[in-house]
Amino acid sequence: MSDADAAASDRGADEETQADVDANTADDHAENSETDAAEPTSAATEITLYEDSLLSIRDLDAGYGDLQILTDVDLDVNDGEYVTIVGPNGAGKSTVMKSVFAITDLMGGSVVFDGADITGTKPEDIIHLGLGYVPQNDNVFPSLSVIENLEMGAYILDEVPEDRLRDVFDRFPILEERKHQKAGTLSGGQQQMLAMGRALMLDPKLLLLDEPSAGLAPDLVDEMFDRIDEINADGTAIMMVEQNAKKALRRCDRGYVFVDGKNRYEDEGLTLLNDPQVRQDFLGG
Amino acid sequence: METANIAQNGRRLVTKNPMAAFLIVVGVVLIIDVVRQLATGDITFARILSLVWDGLMRGLVIGLAGIGLSMTYSILNFANFAHGDYITAGAFAGWATTYLIAGRFGAESSIGSLLLVGAGGSVFGGALGINVVSTPLAVVAGLIVACGFTIALALLMDRFVFKPIRGSGGIPLLITSIGAAFAIRYMLRFVFDPGTRGTTAAGAVPDIRPTIIDGSVVFTMHDLALIVVAGGLMLGVHLLLQRTKLGKAMRAMSDDQSLSRITGIPTERVIRATWIIGGGLTGVSGFMFVLWKGTLSWNDGWLLLLLIFAAVILGGIGSVYGAIVGGLVIGIVASTAVIWIPSGFARAAAFFVMILFLIVRPQGIFAGRSTA
Repeated sequence: MSDADAAASDRGADEETQADVDANTADDHAENSETDAAEPTSAATEITLYEDSLLSIRDLDAGYGDLQILTDVDLDVNDGEYVTIVGPNGAGKSTVMKSVFAITDLMGGSVVFDGADITGTKPEDIIHLGLGYVPQNDNVFPSLSVIENLEMGAYILDEVPEDRLRDVFDRFPILEERKHQKAGTLSGGQQQMLAMGRALMLDPKLLLLDEPSAGLAPDLVDEMFDRIDEINADGTAIMMVEQNAKKALRRCDRGYVFVDGKNRYEDEGLTLLNDPQVRQDFLGG
Repeated sequence: METANIAQNGRRLVTKNPMAAFLIVVGVVLIIDVVRQLATGDITFARILSLVWDGLMRGLVIGLAGIGLSMTYSILNFANFAHGDYITAGAFAGWATTYLIAGRFGAESSIGSLLLVGAGGSVFGGALGINVVSTPLAVVAGLIVACGFTIALALLMDRFVFKPIRGSGGIPLLITSIGAAFAIRYMLRFVFDPGTRGTTAAGAVPDIRPTIIDGSVVFTMHDLALIVVAGGLMLGVHLLLQRTKLGKAMRAMSDDQSLSRITGIPTERVIRATWIIGGGLTGVSGFMFVLWKGTLSWNDGWLLLLLIFAAVILGGIGSVYGAIVGGLVIGIVASTAVIWIPSGFARAAAFFVMILFLIVRPQGIFAGRSTA
């Protein structure tokens, strides 16, 4: 599914758009439709709260120094779920992720992961709980080789887990080919794969991905999303921030739309994609 | 045809890279001058060899001390001006121990005089007959204490001086470190007395003096000790950085601190390890420096620090390998400069070479290579 198709359907009548979305549901997301336990509502300003979710963010206020960016954010990721956060620039999408890892200044609210309150817990301790984070930029150690980058991903373990290394190399064969090359000499897409591979070394329950498609050549974007689908299909829950909103919403289980540091809409990805209000306000019509 | 090519290449060099051309001309002039001096008998081959050897030894000290400076620069992002005085502090702590053991815990002189490394001329190092061959235990114990004391000093300074302001950037840290340098230096001066003392008896150190071409060159046991200790530690640092988990984490931290943190690297622990390794190497370099040159003064480390900075910058600041190579270059330049200029200007020559080199290659020798 390319942007051109999406753009074409955008210009079409509502029926055509519906058909397009339905077609997607049929092929891409048939297997995901049961996993979503939430009762679907039309995209409303009500954010559904989930009990016993894997990651549960409640009433979160956060920012940098005196600058508050997030206000009263509620957000859930369930076991094995694929959640996307979309929204305009500066809406606080990345800030949510950074706040989970306490690399912003937390001003209120709570973050609970897998039953443990991790509000303000240091990143090096959060890692132990099964939470992985791939930041948007500078997400590899450039002067370390590919294999050393992956070893750093497993720093908290006594031994580098060979089976995990095998798994990462199977997912991203290019990394095995280049394993002794300095990470700084890899292409942007390869660095993105390495960053994901590093986060996967600990077999996290939840992987936070901040704009994995940023800076990639258009033909690589779909490949990257395919890889993310595979990671999710193998049982790792995903929380992803994406600029590429239409593609991301089409692939994910559920989406959140952020505006001005607030969580404005929540629903199944396709429902959001198809919601006239969301489309008009945030997805460019 | 051949000469035409050379002329063409020469012309291209002059127009494209006048600085390099200038340096080549200067180098040629210096070499011609050495040939002239050799021809007229102003200097001997053996003398030149002695100077190069002396520079190599000095370079090992500078390189070893520079590793610690480079490590703290790349991992903590600040230039630690107190580093030179860590060297002196390590040297005093180590030599107090060496004196104490060589002086048989007060049998030769009062314990106080021994502990103060003969402050005010109360004990003369030469009288204790210290050297690696006749008092190996005293030397090894001194080396270990110098290492341990400097580690403790570095950790204490970090905990109480640098850590509280670590978040406020490189410049406040740098200025604070200058203050710390003065505090340590004058504390040493206050406790140990400002006099320069001879620690080993001149000429009493076992040596060999082979005749090479036209004169004899002296190689002492202390040269050998310095080569073994410095070379061994440099190799150890290399293996640490390339082979061990801690070393790789140190390189990762020097690449990107915040990424290290979210990757799960315990950054505070790595910083502590950096101070321990850097501090230990610094203390050892201070002790070995004094063992090798045979004198000890409260100003030694501070004066050496300028050359260490020159070496570290020349090597590509932040690179451990750069510090080693830069140290050797600076050491050899500072020693061999006396072939052409009065010895009072030797230090200036080292800086001059550093500046010239940086004009041609501003990033230093090893910039962009594996740092730590």
